Amino acid sequence: MIKFHPNDTSLINFANGDLPFAEALMVSSHCDYCVECQHKLETYTEQLAEKHLSDKSSKAHNELLLSADAVNNCFSPIGNEQIAIDDVDDDSFLSMFDSIVTTCDEQEPPLGFSRYDAQKQYIKLEGKQFHVPETLRKYAEAMGAWSHLIGKVWQAPVDIGGGILAQFIYMEKGGGVPEHTHKGNEFTLVLDGSFEDGLSTYETGDYIALNAQQTHTPVSSADEGCLVFSIVDKPLHFTSGWAKFINPLSDLYFKVKIHR
Amino acid sequence: MLIGIPLEHQRNDTRKPKDCAAEMSAHLATVATKRCKISFSRVFSYFAPRLRSYALKQMGNEALAMELVQDTMSNVWQKAHLFNAEKGSPSTWVFTIARNIRFDMLRKLQNRKEDVCSDDLWPILCEQTADTNDVPLDQQITLEQIGQFFEALPVKQKLVIESIYIDGKSQQEVADELDIPLGTVKSRTRLALHRLKDMLREYD
Repeated sequence: MIKFHPNDTSLINFANGDLPFAEALMVSSHCDYCVECQHKLETYTEQLAEKHLSDKSSKAHNELLLSADAVNNCFSPIGNEQIAIDDVDDDSFLSMFDSIVTTCDEQEPPLGFSRYDAQKQYIKLEGKQFHVPETLRKYAEAMGAWSHLIGKVWQAPVDIGGGILAQFIYMEKGGGVPEHTHKGNEFTLVLDGSFEDGLSTYETGDYIALNAQQTHTPVSSADEGCLVFSIVDKPLHFTSGWAKFINPLSDLYFKVKIHR
Repeated sequence: MLIGIPLEHQRNDTRKPKDCAAEMSAHLATVATKRCKISFSRVFSYFAPRLRSYALKQMGNEALAMELVQDTMSNVWQKAHLFNAEKGSPSTWVFTIARNIRFDMLRKLQNRKEDVCSDDLWPILCEQTADTNDVPLDQQITLEQIGQFFEALPVKQKLVIESIYIDGKSQQEVADELDIPLGTVKSRTRLALHRLKDMLREYD
Protein backbone atom coordinates (compact mmCIF):
# COMPACT_ATOMS: atom_id res chain seq x y z
CA MET A 1 0.00 0.00 0.00
CA ILE A 2 1.60 3.23 -1.14
CA LYS A 3 1.31 5.97 1.49
CA PHE A 4 3.68 8.64 0.28
CA HIS A 5 2.95 10.50 -2.93
CA PRO A 6 4.16 13.59 -4.75
CA ASN A 7 2.01 16.53 -3.64
CA ASP A 8 -0.69 17.96 -5.89
CA THR A 9 1.43 20.95 -6.87
CA SER A 10 4.15 18.61 -8.11
CA LEU A 11 1.64 16.51 -10.03
CA ILE A 12 0.11 19.58 -11.68
CA ASN A 13 3.53 20.94 -12.59
CA PHE A 14 4.47 17.53 -13.94
CA ALA A 15 1.32 17.38 -16.05
CA ASN A 16 2.11 20.87 -17.30
CA GLY A 17 5.67 19.91 -18.21
CA ASP A 18 7.08 22.41 -15.72
CA LEU A 19 8.78 20.18 -13.18
CA PRO A 20 12.60 20.16 -13.07
CA PHE A 21 13.77 17.04 -14.77
CA ALA A 22 15.14 15.17 -11.75
CA GLU A 23 11.86 15.56 -9.93
CA ALA A 24 9.90 14.78 -13.09
CA LEU A 25 11.78 11.53 -13.48
CA MET A 26 10.88 10.55 -9.92
CA VAL A 27 7.22 11.51 -10.28
CA SER A 28 7.01 9.52 -13.50
CA SER A 29 8.61 6.49 -11.82
CA HIS A 30 6.28 6.77 -8.85
CA CYS A 31 3.32 6.73 -11.22
CA ASP A 32 4.55 3.42 -12.62
CA TYR A 33 3.56 2.02 -9.22
CA CYS A 34 0.72 4.29 -8.20
CA VAL A 35 -2.72 4.07 -9.79
CA GLU A 36 -4.03 6.82 -7.56
CA CYS A 37 -1.51 9.34 -8.89
CA GLN A 38 -2.06 8.11 -12.44
CA HIS A 39 -5.73 9.02 -12.13
CA LYS A 40 -4.95 12.37 -10.60
CA LEU A 41 -2.54 13.08 -13.43
CA GLU A 42 -5.18 12.22 -16.01
CA THR A 43 -7.58 14.65 -14.41
CA TYR A 44 -5.03 17.43 -14.11
CA THR A 45 -3.83 16.92 -17.66
CA GLU A 46 -7.38 17.13 -18.95
CA GLN A 47 -7.99 20.35 -17.03
CA LEU A 48 -4.73 21.86 -18.24
CA ALA A 49 -5.52 20.92 -21.83
CA GLU A 50 -8.91 22.59 -21.59
CA LYS A 51 -7.33 25.67 -20.08
CA HIS A 52 -4.43 25.97 -22.51
CA LEU A 53 -6.36 25.19 -25.66
CA SER A 54 -9.46 27.29 -25.08
CA ASP A 55 -8.06 30.57 -26.39
CA LYS A 56 -6.89 31.26 -29.82
CA SER A 57 -5.13 34.22 -31.22
CA SER A 58 -7.77 36.66 -32.34
CA LYS A 59 -6.54 38.30 -35.47
CA ALA A 60 -9.00 39.14 -38.23
CA HIS A 61 -10.50 36.05 -39.74
CA ASN A 62 -9.87 35.40 -43.39
CA GLU A 63 -11.13 32.62 -45.49
CA LEU A 64 -8.15 30.76 -46.71
CA LEU A 65 -7.44 28.70 -49.71
CA LEU A 66 -5.59 25.49 -49.94
CA SER A 67 -3.56 24.07 -52.73
CA ALA A 68 -5.55 21.53 -54.67
CA ASP A 69 -2.51 19.28 -54.78
CA ALA A 70 -3.19 18.31 -51.23
CA VAL A 71 -6.57 16.99 -52.27
CA ASN A 72 -5.22 15.08 -55.23
CA ASN A 73 -2.46 13.48 -53.23
CA CYS A 74 -4.81 12.22 -50.59
CA PHE A 75 -4.07 8.61 -49.76
CA SER A 76 -7.69 7.56 -50.11
CA PRO A 77 -9.81 9.03 -52.88
CA ILE A 78 -12.24 11.42 -51.32
CA GLY A 79 -14.70 12.25 -54.03
CA ASN A 80 -15.81 15.79 -54.47
CA GLU A 81 -15.27 16.99 -50.96
CA GLN A 82 -12.88 19.85 -50.59
CA ILE A 83 -10.37 20.81 -48.02
CA ALA A 84 -10.44 24.18 -46.39
CA ILE A 85 -8.31 25.58 -43.67
CA ASP A 86 -10.65 28.17 -42.34
CA ASP A 87 -10.59 29.66 -38.94
CA VAL A 88 -6.98 30.63 -39.20
CA ASP A 89 -5.66 34.05 -39.74
CA ASP A 90 -2.62 34.01 -41.91
CA ASP A 91 -0.81 32.27 -44.68
CA SER A 92 1.66 30.61 -42.39
CA PHE A 93 -0.98 28.13 -41.25
CA LEU A 94 -1.82 27.37 -44.82
CA SER A 95 1.73 26.52 -45.79
CA MET A 96 2.15 24.64 -42.53
CA PHE A 97 -0.85 22.46 -43.30
CA ASP A 98 0.46 21.82 -46.78
CA SER A 99 3.91 20.87 -45.63
CA ILE A 100 2.55 18.55 -42.96
CA VAL A 101 0.27 16.56 -45.19
CA THR A 102 2.61 16.44 -48.17
CA THR A 103 6.03 15.89 -46.65
CA CYS A 104 5.19 13.95 -43.53
CA ASP A 105 2.92 11.35 -45.00
CA GLU A 106 5.44 8.71 -45.88
CA GLN A 107 8.04 9.59 -43.36
CA GLU A 108 9.19 6.90 -41.06
CA PRO A 109 8.73 7.53 -37.39
CA PRO A 110 11.76 9.21 -35.81
CA LEU A 111 14.14 6.69 -34.35
CA GLY A 112 14.50 8.24 -30.93
CA PHE A 113 15.72 6.08 -28.11
CA SER A 114 12.57 5.32 -26.24
CA ARG A 115 12.37 3.74 -22.85
CA TYR A 116 10.61 0.79 -24.39
CA ASP A 117 13.76 -0.13 -26.22
CA ALA A 118 15.39 -0.76 -22.89
CA GLN A 119 14.86 -4.32 -21.83
CA LYS A 120 16.50 -4.18 -18.45
CA GLN A 121 13.53 -5.15 -16.36
CA TYR A 122 15.54 -6.49 -13.45
CA ILE A 123 18.67 -5.46 -11.67
CA LYS A 124 20.70 -7.96 -9.74
CA LEU A 125 22.79 -7.78 -6.62
CA GLU A 126 24.27 -10.55 -4.50
CA GLY A 127 22.02 -13.21 -5.96
CA LYS A 128 18.89 -11.11 -5.51
CA GLN A 129 16.83 -9.83 -8.39
CA PHE A 130 14.73 -6.66 -8.35
CA HIS A 131 12.02 -5.48 -10.69
CA VAL A 132 12.67 -2.08 -12.31
CA PRO A 133 9.73 0.25 -13.10
CA GLU A 134 9.33 1.18 -16.76
CA THR A 135 10.48 4.76 -16.44
CA LEU A 136 13.81 3.69 -14.98
CA ARG A 137 14.64 0.82 -17.33
CA LYS A 138 16.59 3.03 -19.65
CA TYR A 139 18.67 4.20 -16.70
CA ALA A 140 19.06 0.74 -15.21
CA GLU A 141 20.51 -0.24 -18.55
CA ALA A 142 23.21 2.39 -18.14
CA MET A 143 23.97 1.90 -14.45
CA GLY A 144 27.48 1.56 -13.15
CA ALA A 145 28.84 -1.31 -11.05
CA TRP A 146 27.69 -1.87 -7.48
CA SER A 147 30.10 -0.82 -4.79
CA HIS A 148 29.82 -1.92 -1.20
CA LEU A 149 29.90 1.05 1.14
CA ILE A 150 30.22 1.20 4.88
CA GLY A 151 27.12 0.36 6.89
CA LYS A 152 25.77 -2.56 4.88
CA VAL A 153 24.92 -0.26 2.03
CA TRP A 154 25.44 -0.87 -1.65
CA GLN A 155 25.46 1.85 -4.22
CA ALA A 156 25.41 1.87 -8.01
CA PRO A 157 25.62 5.18 -9.83
CA VAL A 158 23.52 6.05 -12.83
CA ASP A 159 24.76 8.57 -15.32
CA ILE A 160 21.85 10.79 -16.23
CA GLY A 161 24.07 13.70 -17.20
CA GLY A 162 23.81 17.30 -16.10
CA GLY A 163 26.00 16.79 -13.04
CA ILE A 164 23.10 15.36 -11.14
CA LEU A 165 23.68 12.38 -8.90
CA ALA A 166 21.35 9.50 -9.48
CA GLN A 167 21.93 6.12 -7.92
CA PHE A 168 20.43 2.86 -6.93
CA ILE A 169 20.99 2.24 -3.23
CA TYR A 170 20.50 -1.09 -1.57
CA MET A 171 20.39 -1.28 2.21
CA GLU A 172 20.86 -4.72 3.68
CA LYS A 173 18.86 -5.56 6.79
CA GLY A 174 20.17 -3.22 9.46
CA GLY A 175 22.05 -1.19 6.88
CA GLY A 176 21.58 2.52 6.42
CA VAL A 177 22.99 5.87 5.51
CA PRO A 178 24.27 8.13 8.32
CA GLU A 179 22.03 11.03 9.31
CA HIS A 180 22.34 13.78 6.77
CA THR A 181 20.77 16.85 5.29
CA HIS A 182 21.09 17.94 1.72
CA LYS A 183 22.29 21.13 0.21
CA GLY A 184 19.70 20.63 -2.47
CA ASN A 185 16.71 18.35 -2.91
CA GLU A 186 16.74 14.63 -2.47
CA PHE A 187 14.14 12.45 -4.15
CA THR A 188 13.84 8.82 -3.24
CA LEU A 189 11.59 6.12 -4.59
CA VAL A 190 11.33 2.74 -2.90
CA LEU A 191 11.65 0.01 -5.51
CA ASP A 192 11.66 -3.00 -3.21
CA GLY A 193 11.47 -3.75 0.51
CA SER A 194 11.13 -1.03 3.11
CA PHE A 195 13.16 1.40 5.20
CA GLU A 196 12.69 3.89 8.04
CA ASP A 197 14.28 7.29 8.37
CA GLY A 198 13.28 8.47 11.81
CA LEU A 199 10.25 10.21 10.32
CA SER A 200 8.29 7.32 8.83
CA THR A 201 8.46 3.86 7.32
CA TYR A 202 8.50 3.68 3.55
CA GLU A 203 7.49 0.78 1.35
CA THR A 204 7.55 -0.16 -2.31
CA GLY A 205 6.28 2.68 -4.49
CA ASP A 206 6.57 5.32 -1.78
CA TYR A 207 7.90 8.67 -2.92
CA ILE A 208 10.00 10.82 -0.62
CA ALA A 209 11.00 14.38 -1.42
CA LEU A 210 13.26 16.16 1.07
CA ASN A 211 14.61 19.68 0.88
CA ALA A 212 17.70 21.28 2.35
CA GLN A 213 16.02 21.95 5.71
CA GLN A 214 15.27 18.33 6.52
CA THR A 215 17.55 15.75 8.06
CA HIS A 216 17.01 12.03 8.03
CA THR A 217 18.69 8.73 8.83
CA PRO A 218 17.56 6.04 6.41
CA VAL A 219 17.89 2.52 7.74
CA SER A 220 16.29 -0.73 6.67
CA SER A 221 15.09 -3.28 9.18
CA ALA A 222 13.25 -5.39 6.65
CA ASP A 223 14.51 -8.93 6.23
CA GLU A 224 14.78 -8.48 2.51
CA GLY A 225 16.51 -5.10 2.90
CA CYS A 226 15.53 -2.21 0.71
CA LEU A 227 16.30 -1.05 -2.80
CA VAL A 228 15.71 2.60 -3.62
CA PHE A 229 16.38 4.88 -6.53
CA SER A 230 17.60 8.25 -5.40
CA ILE A 231 18.43 11.55 -7.00
CA VAL A 232 20.25 14.33 -5.19
CA ASP A 233 20.76 17.57 -7.02
CA LYS A 234 23.48 18.73 -4.60
CA PRO A 235 25.86 16.89 -2.22
CA LEU A 236 24.72 15.38 1.05
CA HIS A 237 25.79 17.01 4.26
CA PHE A 238 26.37 14.67 7.15
CA THR A 239 25.24 15.95 10.52
CA SER A 240 26.10 13.36 13.12
CA GLY A 241 28.22 10.51 14.37
CA TRP A 242 31.22 9.04 12.71
CA ALA A 243 30.10 10.36 9.37
CA LYS A 244 30.78 13.98 10.35
CA PHE A 245 34.43 13.56 9.71
CA ILE A 246 33.84 12.34 6.21
CA ASN A 247 31.92 15.43 5.20
CA PRO A 248 34.88 16.78 3.28
CA LEU A 249 34.92 13.38 1.61
CA SER A 250 31.21 13.06 1.23
CA ASP A 251 31.84 12.62 -2.44
CA LEU A 252 31.88 8.99 -1.38
CA TYR A 253 28.14 9.02 -1.56
CA PHE A 254 27.67 10.79 -4.80
CA LYS A 255 30.68 10.39 -6.96
CA VAL A 256 29.34 9.20 -10.25
CA LYS A 257 31.69 6.71 -11.76
CA ILE A 258 30.42 4.60 -14.56
CA HIS A 259 32.03 1.22 -15.09
CA ARG A 260 30.58 -0.07 -18.28
CA MET B 1 -3.54 26.03 -58.24
CA LEU B 2 -5.69 27.48 -55.55
CA ILE B 3 -9.33 26.74 -55.13
CA GLY B 4 -11.89 28.81 -53.32
CA ILE B 5 -14.12 26.78 -51.10
CA PRO B 6 -17.49 27.57 -49.64
CA LEU B 7 -17.49 26.27 -46.13
CA GLU B 8 -20.38 24.47 -44.64
CA HIS B 9 -19.06 23.65 -41.25
CA GLN B 10 -18.86 26.11 -38.43
CA ARG B 11 -16.50 28.93 -39.22
CA ASN B 12 -14.40 30.77 -36.69
CA ASP B 13 -15.11 28.01 -34.28
CA THR B 14 -15.31 29.36 -30.76
CA ARG B 15 -16.40 26.19 -29.05
CA LYS B 16 -14.50 24.99 -26.01
CA PRO B 17 -12.37 21.88 -26.59
CA LYS B 18 -14.66 19.68 -24.52
CA ASP B 19 -17.68 20.74 -26.58
CA CYS B 20 -16.29 19.32 -29.80
CA ALA B 21 -14.50 16.27 -28.39
CA ALA B 22 -16.77 13.79 -30.15
CA GLU B 23 -16.41 15.53 -33.49
CA MET B 24 -12.63 15.77 -33.20
CA SER B 25 -12.38 12.13 -32.11
CA ALA B 26 -14.24 11.11 -35.23
CA HIS B 27 -11.96 13.21 -37.42
CA LEU B 28 -8.85 11.74 -35.79
CA ALA B 29 -10.17 8.24 -36.40
CA THR B 30 -10.64 9.06 -40.07
CA VAL B 31 -7.16 10.52 -40.27
CA ALA B 32 -5.78 7.35 -38.70
CA THR B 33 -7.58 4.88 -40.91
CA LYS B 34 -7.92 6.73 -44.20
CA ARG B 35 -5.21 9.38 -44.05
CA CYS B 36 -8.08 11.76 -44.81
CA LYS B 37 -6.85 15.27 -45.40
CA ILE B 38 -10.29 16.76 -45.09
CA SER B 39 -10.67 15.39 -41.60
CA PHE B 40 -7.19 16.54 -40.77
CA SER B 41 -8.01 20.01 -42.03
CA ARG B 42 -10.87 20.18 -39.51
CA VAL B 43 -8.59 19.09 -36.70
CA PHE B 44 -5.91 21.48 -37.90
CA SER B 45 -8.30 24.43 -38.22
CA TYR B 46 -9.53 23.93 -34.72
CA PHE B 47 -6.29 23.21 -32.91
CA ALA B 48 -3.55 25.10 -34.77
CA PRO B 49 -4.70 28.61 -33.71
CA ARG B 50 -5.25 27.42 -30.16
CA LEU B 51 -1.86 25.79 -30.06
CA ARG B 52 -0.31 28.99 -31.33
CA SER B 53 -1.94 30.95 -28.55
CA TYR B 54 -0.59 28.43 -26.01
CA ALA B 55 2.82 28.33 -27.66
CA LEU B 56 3.16 32.12 -27.78
CA LYS B 57 2.55 32.34 -24.05
CA GLN B 58 5.02 29.54 -23.39
CA MET B 59 7.79 30.40 -25.81
CA GLY B 60 7.27 34.18 -26.03
CA ASN B 61 8.45 34.22 -29.62
CA GLU B 62 6.48 33.82 -32.83
CA ALA B 63 9.04 31.67 -34.65
CA LEU B 64 9.43 29.20 -31.80
CA ALA B 65 5.70 29.21 -31.25
CA MET B 66 5.03 28.28 -34.85
CA GLU B 67 7.70 25.57 -34.68
CA LEU B 68 5.88 24.14 -31.68
CA VAL B 69 2.56 24.27 -33.53
CA GLN B 70 4.01 22.61 -36.61
CA ASP B 71 5.74 19.82 -34.72
CA THR B 72 2.61 19.16 -32.74
CA MET B 73 0.30 19.04 -35.74
CA SER B 74 2.80 16.88 -37.68
CA ASN B 75 2.63 14.36 -34.87
CA VAL B 76 -1.16 14.53 -34.85
CA TRP B 77 -1.13 13.77 -38.57
CA GLN B 78 1.40 10.96 -38.35
CA LYS B 79 0.38 9.41 -35.06
CA ALA B 80 -3.39 9.74 -35.18
CA HIS B 81 -3.62 5.96 -34.88
CA LEU B 82 -2.23 6.26 -31.36
CA PHE B 83 -5.11 8.42 -30.22
CA ASN B 84 -7.55 6.44 -28.12
CA ALA B 85 -10.82 8.18 -27.37
CA GLU B 86 -11.43 5.82 -24.46
CA LYS B 87 -8.35 7.09 -22.69
CA GLY B 88 -8.98 10.81 -23.02
CA SER B 89 -10.27 13.67 -25.12
CA PRO B 90 -8.65 14.84 -28.36
CA SER B 91 -7.70 18.16 -26.75
CA THR B 92 -5.92 16.35 -23.93
CA TRP B 93 -4.02 14.23 -26.42
CA VAL B 94 -3.04 17.22 -28.55
CA PHE B 95 -2.03 19.15 -25.45
CA THR B 96 0.20 16.34 -24.19
CA ILE B 97 1.97 16.20 -27.55
CA ALA B 98 2.52 19.97 -27.46
CA ARG B 99 3.66 19.81 -23.85
CA ASN B 100 6.23 17.12 -24.68
CA ILE B 101 7.57 19.02 -27.66
CA ARG B 102 7.77 22.19 -25.60
CA PHE B 103 9.65 20.28 -22.89
CA ASP B 104 12.21 19.06 -25.42
CA MET B 105 12.48 22.45 -27.14
CA LEU B 106 13.10 24.27 -23.86
CA ARG B 107 15.71 21.75 -22.80
CA LYS B 108 17.47 22.18 -26.10
CA LEU B 109 17.35 25.96 -25.78
CA GLN B 110 18.76 25.79 -22.27
CA ASN B 111 21.47 23.48 -23.51
CA ARG B 112 20.72 20.99 -20.78
CA LYS B 113 22.93 17.96 -20.70
CA GLU B 114 20.76 15.53 -18.82
CA ASP B 115 20.06 12.39 -20.70
CA VAL B 116 16.31 12.70 -20.70
CA CYS B 117 13.61 13.45 -23.21
CA SER B 118 9.88 13.84 -22.95
CA ASP B 119 9.31 10.26 -24.12
CA ASP B 120 10.97 9.03 -20.95
CA LEU B 121 8.52 10.92 -18.79
CA TRP B 122 5.34 10.79 -20.85
CA PRO B 123 5.51 7.99 -23.41
CA ILE B 124 2.35 9.07 -25.19
CA LEU B 125 3.71 8.60 -28.68
CA CYS B 126 5.39 5.24 -28.21
CA GLU B 127 3.78 2.71 -30.48
CA GLN B 128 3.90 0.01 -27.83
CA THR B 129 1.85 1.89 -25.29
CA ALA B 130 -1.30 1.79 -27.36
CA ASP B 131 -1.97 -1.90 -27.03
CA THR B 132 -0.66 -2.93 -23.65
CA ASN B 133 -4.10 -3.64 -22.25
CA ASP B 134 -5.47 -5.45 -25.24
CA VAL B 135 -6.33 -9.10 -24.91
CA PRO B 136 -4.34 -11.11 -27.45
CA LEU B 137 -6.28 -11.31 -30.67
CA ASP B 138 -6.14 -15.08 -30.90
CA GLN B 139 -8.36 -15.30 -27.86
CA GLN B 140 -11.06 -13.29 -29.48
CA ILE B 141 -11.41 -14.38 -33.03
CA THR B 142 -10.71 -17.15 -35.47
CA LEU B 143 -8.47 -17.05 -38.49
CA GLU B 144 -11.46 -17.46 -40.70
CA GLN B 145 -13.00 -14.28 -39.41
CA ILE B 146 -9.72 -12.44 -39.88
CA GLY B 147 -9.79 -13.64 -43.47
CA GLN B 148 -13.14 -11.96 -44.02
CA PHE B 149 -11.85 -8.68 -42.64
CA PHE B 150 -8.71 -9.06 -44.70
CA GLU B 151 -10.80 -9.27 -47.86
CA ALA B 152 -12.34 -5.93 -46.97
CA LEU B 153 -8.99 -4.13 -47.07
CA PRO B 154 -8.15 -1.82 -49.98
CA VAL B 155 -6.33 -3.71 -52.72
CA LYS B 156 -2.97 -2.00 -52.22
CA GLN B 157 -2.93 -2.65 -48.50
CA LYS B 158 -4.06 -6.23 -48.99
CA LEU B 159 -1.18 -6.86 -51.37
CA VAL B 160 1.38 -5.55 -48.91
CA ILE B 161 -0.06 -7.47 -45.97
CA GLU B 162 -0.24 -10.65 -48.03
CA SER B 163 3.39 -10.38 -49.13
CA ILE B 164 4.65 -9.72 -45.62
CA TYR B 165 2.46 -11.86 -43.42
CA ILE B 166 1.59 -14.73 -45.73
CA ASP B 167 4.55 -14.96 -48.09
CA GLY B 168 6.94 -13.91 -45.33
CA LYS B 169 8.78 -11.30 -47.38
CA SER B 170 10.61 -8.41 -45.82
CA GLN B 171 9.29 -4.89 -46.21
CA GLN B 172 12.29 -4.06 -48.37
CA GLU B 173 11.59 -7.00 -50.69
CA VAL B 174 8.00 -5.89 -51.05
CA ALA B 175 9.13 -2.34 -51.79
CA ASP B 176 11.51 -3.59 -54.50
CA GLU B 177 8.93 -5.88 -56.03
CA LEU B 178 6.22 -3.27 -56.23
CA ASP B 179 8.72 -0.55 -57.04
CA ILE B 180 7.47 1.74 -54.32
CA PRO B 181 9.38 3.48 -51.51
CA LEU B 182 10.01 1.51 -48.33
CA GLY B 183 8.17 4.21 -46.40
CA THR B 184 5.06 3.53 -48.44
CA VAL B 185 5.21 -0.17 -47.63
CA LYS B 186 5.54 0.69 -43.99
CA SER B 187 2.68 3.13 -43.94
CA ARG B 188 0.44 0.76 -45.90
CA THR B 189 1.25 -2.01 -43.47
CA ARG B 190 0.50 0.23 -40.56
CA LEU B 191 -2.73 1.51 -42.04
CA ALA B 192 -3.88 -1.97 -42.91
CA LEU B 193 -3.16 -3.31 -39.45
CA HIS B 194 -5.00 -0.44 -37.87
CA ARG B 195 -7.91 -0.86 -40.17
CA LEU B 196 -8.02 -4.55 -39.31
CA LYS B 197 -7.91 -3.68 -35.68
CA ASP B 198 -10.77 -1.23 -36.08
CA MET B 199 -12.83 -3.89 -37.82
CA LEU B 200 -12.10 -6.27 -35.01
CA ARG B 201 -13.23 -3.65 -32.50
CA GLU B 202 -16.47 -3.11 -34.36
CA TYR B 203 -16.94 -6.83 -34.51
CA ASP B 204 -16.74 -6.92 -30.72
